[in-house]
Amino acid sequence: MQMKSPSSLASDGTPVNGLMPVDAVADLIRAGACLSLAGRKEALDALPAGRWIGGTSPYFMTAEGGRIVTGQEVFVTDLGAIGDVSIGIYGADELEQISGEAPDQGFALAVIPAGSRCHAEFAKNAATYPMAFMRPTVGWISGYDLGEPGASAWVYDGRSGAAFADRVVVAHVAFGDDADALIEIVNIFAPEGEDVIRFDETGFTPRWCTVNGERRRFADYVMARGRQAGDLPLVGDFAGAHVNASLKSIDAAAGTVELYAPVFPGVDYAFAAPVGDYAGSFREALSTRSFDGAAWSCNCILNFLFGKLEGVAIGGLAGPVTFGEIAYQLLNQTMVVVRKA
Amino acid sequence: MSIPAPSSPVWTRLASGGLSRIQTSHLGTQMLIKRLELSPAPPAAKAAEIYNYFAKWERSLANEVAQLARL
Repeated sequence: MQMKSPSSLASDGTPVNGLMPVDAVADLIRAGACLSLAGRKEALDALPAGRWIGGTSPYFMTAEGGRIVTGQEVFVTDLGAIGDVSIGIYGADELEQISGEAPDQGFALAVIPAGSRCHAEFAKNAATYPMAFMRPTVGWISGYDLGEPGASAWVYDGRSGAAFADRVVVAHVAFGDDADALIEIVNIFAPEGEDVIRFDETGFTPRWCTVNGERRRFADYVMARGRQAGDLPLVGDFAGAHVNASLKSIDAAAGTVELYAPVFPGVDYAFAAPVGDYAGSFREALSTRSFDGAAWSCNCILNFLFGKLEGVAIGGLAGPVTFGEIAYQLLNQTMVVVRKA
Repeated sequence: MSIPAPSSPVWTRLASGGLSRIQTSHLGTQMLIKRLELSPAPPAAKAAEIYNYFAKWERSLANEVAQLARL
């Protein structure tokens, strides 16, 4: 591969964004490329130190369809072809610095381990960070192979090659003054239009809610509506934007529900209307979208699993399949796309 | 169309409820509207935040900027 510069792999105007063998990725790192990486832990552990960030996931969407990879492949996005890159790492009490230290023109690409305190803190507070909407943050929640008992999520600071279970790694990608970062989402779910659900507190485990003004135990409502399978998320109305919070588990006896993203007071929620054909819905939604300048994307593990997307192509940009998606704040069951425009 | 000056009363009107009437499919703008709706910050602080937001994203928000004067 002919390289444009040590920090950029692009030789034909198309930045690298796809799966590559571990050995080839190691060569790119040694050549000085600035990379965003995703793969199994054994693959990321095998890489040399360099200018990269990473997170664990064995699940990916590619042009050919959904893939579950082995430890021999890593998903590579060539950040050096998109802009000037600097790398940072943040603890759970430093998360507002992710956007605070982001470039004026460009974006922050953040990777957060699933189930960590960073995950919970970012999910609850991201929209309140002072620079959240001036210097956008996108990214993903790293995960693990759901068929692997005891597995857990990790992120990597490639400068040392160290893995972290409760830190956020960030690539700040700076553009010139003539370009903006456009953060877009593709959400195939829409409110069913039946009940309006509201919550009194921010949290992942809401115990109580109001349904059309009537106070209900949330678990009872979920069961009464037959939504305990978890394939249909809650859809929050954020001034017209549909922001999902997906069901992780329900314990009917204990009356508890756990979500993959928090719900917020002051937001109208509804269960999503059923989606019969996930892949077809994505293909339809993506067919009308512009992908000019598309630089990075991710999609949700729940879409991958409930939509049976392994081996099925949906269009759009390739990227990791994740345990949560970030577009300004945490999302669920949503595709996120960043474009340079 | 450029955005009104920081001293324009349009920013105070937007901070006092006008922003919720804007027609937009721009994700960041939608989320900002919700944040400001839920925020206890005083109107002057919200107005400054809205001005700074539109000044930053003016290039990407032509449709929204065109609506500002009538909100």
